[in-house]
Amino acid sequence: MAARVSDPPAATGNWAPAAALLRLVFWLLGMVLLAVVALPLLRLALAPSIANLVAAARDVEVRDALWLSLEGAALAALVAMVLGVPLAYLLARGRFRGRGFIAAVVDLPLSVPHTVSGIALLMVFGRRGIIGAPAEAYLGLRFWATLAGIVVAMVFVAAPYMVSAARIAFAAVDPRLEMVARSLGLGPWRVFFRVTLPLAWHGIATGFTLTFARAISEFAAVAMLVYYPMTAPVKIYELFLRFGLDEAAAAAVLLLAVTLALFLVFRHFAYGEAAAGGGR
Amino acid sequence: MTAPGLETEGLTLRLGRFSLDGVSLEVAPGEILVLLGRNGAGKSVCLETIAGFHRPQCGRIRIAGRDVTALSPERRRIGFVLQNFGLFPHLTVARNVAIGGEARGGAAGRDALLERFGIAHLAQSRPAQLSPGEKQRTALARALASRPDLFLFDEPFSALDAATSETLRDELGGFLRCAGIPAVFVTHDRTDALALGDRIAVIEGGAIRQHGPTAAVFARPGSIAIARLLGIENILEGRVAAAADDRLSIALGDGSLEAAQPAAALAPGQPVTLCIPGEAIRLLPPQSPLPPQRRRARVAAQLRAGPLWKIALECGFPLTAYALPQTLRECALVPGGIVDIEIDADAIHVLAAERGSVNG
Repeated sequence: MAARVSDPPAATGNWAPAAALLRLVFWLLGMVLLAVVALPLLRLALAPSIANLVAAARDVEVRDALWLSLEGAALAALVAMVLGVPLAYLLARGRFRGRGFIAAVVDLPLSVPHTVSGIALLMVFGRRGIIGAPAEAYLGLRFWATLAGIVVAMVFVAAPYMVSAARIAFAAVDPRLEMVARSLGLGPWRVFFRVTLPLAWHGIATGFTLTFARAISEFAAVAMLVYYPMTAPVKIYELFLRFGLDEAAAAAVLLLAVTLALFLVFRHFAYGEAAAGGGR
Repeated sequence: MTAPGLETEGLTLRLGRFSLDGVSLEVAPGEILVLLGRNGAGKSVCLETIAGFHRPQCGRIRIAGRDVTALSPERRRIGFVLQNFGLFPHLTVARNVAIGGEARGGAAGRDALLERFGIAHLAQSRPAQLSPGEKQRTALARALASRPDLFLFDEPFSALDAATSETLRDELGGFLRCAGIPAVFVTHDRTDALALGDRIAVIEGGAIRQHGPTAAVFARPGSIAIARLLGIENILEGRVAAAADDRLSIALGDGSLEAAQPAAALAPGQPVTLCIPGEAIRLLPPQSPLPPQRRRARVAAQLRAGPLWKIALECGFPLTAYALPQTLRECALVPGGIVDIEIDADAIHVLAAERGSVNG
């Protein structure tokens, strides 16, 4: 048996039958999920003919809707960032009463059905809403049939992603690094912008991406509060109702392509930045 | 009060499960005070209070003669060095150092500091790429760039291996003694305390339990808990057998010991605790007849302790001593063997037994 001494030990680690079986089962289950996600998207992407795609891309209404979606989602992500990052910092650092409650309220839109969100938004920002009515009367600011309304609806549904991502990012920044910065003579504002924010930037960028993606995909809340001008999802729905599946599919593929491209750019931006910043 | 340096007066604070209870400390310029305590004793809270991150309910803090009690942290002029040195991971070494100088008169001294600490060649490196020694030097350069009146160290070595922390400790000690800036060094490690401390303050439950020159604190720990914290090897329960003016005879186990300590307030029969540092026990080859002042012991066990051997002895009561490998050979020490020992009577510290003090 002396020859066996140098053999690799048999049946240990990931090569043991039980471990191999576990990995096999997990792979199978994962593949089913992957198929459920990937198949419809692939099928959709291959559905329209080139001619249909070109026609859709030439359609001014479709282009306007796409552009409006991008504009709205970008503004919504910005608003969510400007308003959400400070709140995320407070939630990550603060030891105040009601912290859990506030965190729960912020996350609430995630579990509210989108049509419910739409109705709730109408009651506040609509023509007779408790903010919508005075805003028009005194500021001339309307939320229905305007970009402002689209942004408000998108912020409502998408801001939780911004706040959670930023909160996790801030929580991962050692508060004692902030202490060191203070002791070096930097005031609280400079510490935030020079130390805390750069260290949390990766997470905030991820939150921005998720917020943007969620915002651009919103249909019900935007449709109920605004409808006109139409964002891409609303336009696609309208095409589907008026002309049927083929017309809608072409516009849908365009929207899909645009969002995927943007998603890749954002991801590269967020992760590429972190890698260059010596994340390791 | 004239001492420029650091002075705290009766710092009192309640903060969640931590508290400070009338902490008064004094550190002269160029002096290192080691604040020694277990985890949760309030060491870090004490440092953070001095640095200005917690507002004390009462008490005063003076740094270099300035009353800073009401000042915000960025105006206290403190160099704060943390575990792992607390460098900003997203900035290069040069920018880490520059940020220290920025708030107080520009980054003019940056290059000189990089040179002085031998890290100029690392100026464009990120902290993650540095060795612990380079991190320490960067942290010191950064702190110095902000021209501090006081250094605070919060267990900077606690995440390092023993060999590295020894090197860095020596380097830090050398630096602080040259810099002439007072420093408070928080640790739970007695090695740090012995190597760096000019004086030691023992903190427990947010209060300073003992405060004095390092050698004095190690020689005369104020309580059993402190003796344990200091790692005194032999903490033995005994009873006063006889008390003369400056000599005590203590009965313990099946034997007895003489201690050179004023007998004041200790009457025969009173229970006491003896603290005997392991290094106060000399091991000698057995001689017969047994010379006076010596006693004979049996070797119960011997274990390696770094370069030394830790020897468990039995001489009517258990004792732990240290031996160099050469002593081991000279005395022909083997487990179960016999050895002569001599205990320095001055090194035996007698504590009147505390009530219910079995565990520190």
